[in-house]
Amino acid sequence: MLGMMYCSKMAATSAGRALSLCRQFQKSLSISTALPLQHTNVLTSCKAQLSTFRPKFCLLHINNVGTSLAQQCRALHTSQWRRGLEEFFDETPNWGEPTVKSGAPWTAKQLRTKSSEDLHKLWYVLLKEKNMLLTVEQEAKRQRVQMPSPERLKKIERSMKRLDTIVQERENALRLLQTGQERARPGTWRKDFLGRTFWYRFKEYPIPWYLNRRYKRKRFFTPIFVDSFIRLRIESHLHRKILKKKADLENKRKLQEQFSKLSART
Amino acid sequence: MRLTALLAMAARVKVPPDYRYGTSRPWTVGAQRMNPPGKKRRKVFVEPIQPEDWSLFKGDTVEVLAGKDSGKQGKISQVIRARNWVILEGLNTHYRYIGKSGEYRGTYIASESPLLVREVALVDPSDRKPTQVEWRFTEEGERVRVSLRSGRILPKPVVQRRDGIVPEQWKDGPKDTSPDDALEKTYSASLKTFEEEIAGATGVVETRAGRRTFWY
Repeated sequence: MLGMMYCSKMAATSAGRALSLCRQFQKSLSISTALPLQHTNVLTSCKAQLSTFRPKFCLLHINNVGTSLAQQCRALHTSQWRRGLEEFFDETPNWGEPTVKSGAPWTAKQLRTKSSEDLHKLWYVLLKEKNMLLTVEQEAKRQRVQMPSPERLKKIERSMKRLDTIVQERENALRLLQTGQERARPGTWRKDFLGRTFWYRFKEYPIPWYLNRRYKRKRFFTPIFVDSFIRLRIESHLHRKILKKKADLENKRKLQEQFSKLSART
Repeated sequence: MRLTALLAMAARVKVPPDYRYGTSRPWTVGAQRMNPPGKKRRKVFVEPIQPEDWSLFKGDTVEVLAGKDSGKQGKISQVIRARNWVILEGLNTHYRYIGKSGEYRGTYIASESPLLVREVALVDPSDRKPTQVEWRFTEEGERVRVSLRSGRILPKPVVQRRDGIVPEQWKDGPKDTSPDDALEKTYSASLKTFEEEIAGATGVVETRAGRRTFWY
């Protein structure tokens, strides 16, 4: 449910303005129940006005004594769903059952045929189902009993993972087409203080690097005295490579010995 | 590290590269007793069979060529790829007691021993004799097992799902999407990103310009 914020202080000068805004908002809400799709349009336009004026937020008109608080809250829903906390729990016929029937998870192939809107709605449906199952799991732990059909959680998680993969795929394709960038997040190859080369992923900061004291303390170079240790590391790496190659050849030889003997016998 | 990744790591069983696989799965108590973390056993050489050449599946009827029950035919109940093993129902058994507690000696049962894939052979359904099998392609392009002696195709055995569901007899529940809805194509390629499309559909107009950020 949306948070309810009351007009705490109404200064004399901004009172009229705030009240008029709230009244505008109330009008928009009364239209909203008839036309759910247009509701969001009006909501955002009101929100834009509110942000420019910066008043104390007033989403409910508290002077309206006739309607109850619950009814006013219900009018704030941005979707047609009107259920409450019971969505955190399974359907009543399933309570106490040892197993609950559930279908197969969504496959990536099926999800690729869906539009962005459908995927967006599906994500939230899956999220709510996941929350419900996690509640059931926690309650089962509390009651020290087995959770009925825990495979449902796995199915939901896999479906959500696949959905995310599809969205990423589409984003990657568009970005490659329009900009040629292979990665969504910028980065670069850097050397750390031990001489190891690694992919450093950039972070988003509000200040430039020359003003960032913590960033300036980071060292992305190798001091000169580390060179001898780098040489030793290279030597050890080469030695391990040779040992592995020898071990693989030995393994192959032993396998051939054993299984050619076997095939000779048969 | 992400909490989900850490929990997933803890749930998965970490197996060393020279682990000796047995008839029990690595996460069971019996397997942990056989292979405690510090134990190193003599290496067992497993014949390298490529995944595409593997021709024995659970539910297949095979004949035993070597061992105590040689000449007998049985159904495969379990396949252990790591050791090239197959376990047949009721064949190649030895007897042991299980459920021993205190003075009670337990139940005397026959437990099957695994057989190597080279010690069994698939049975040709036309003459019910053991044959060698090869993978070939049909006219339609389907990859099937073909018996080398008679040329008959050996179909892959139909095994019941572990959750007991038969796809042909499935009835959708209240939360399941119908097959038509699931397969319906609503995607149309466009040059808009996911976020732009959602914003367009819900009528969200972003007039704010974000503050300047630096990436480094």
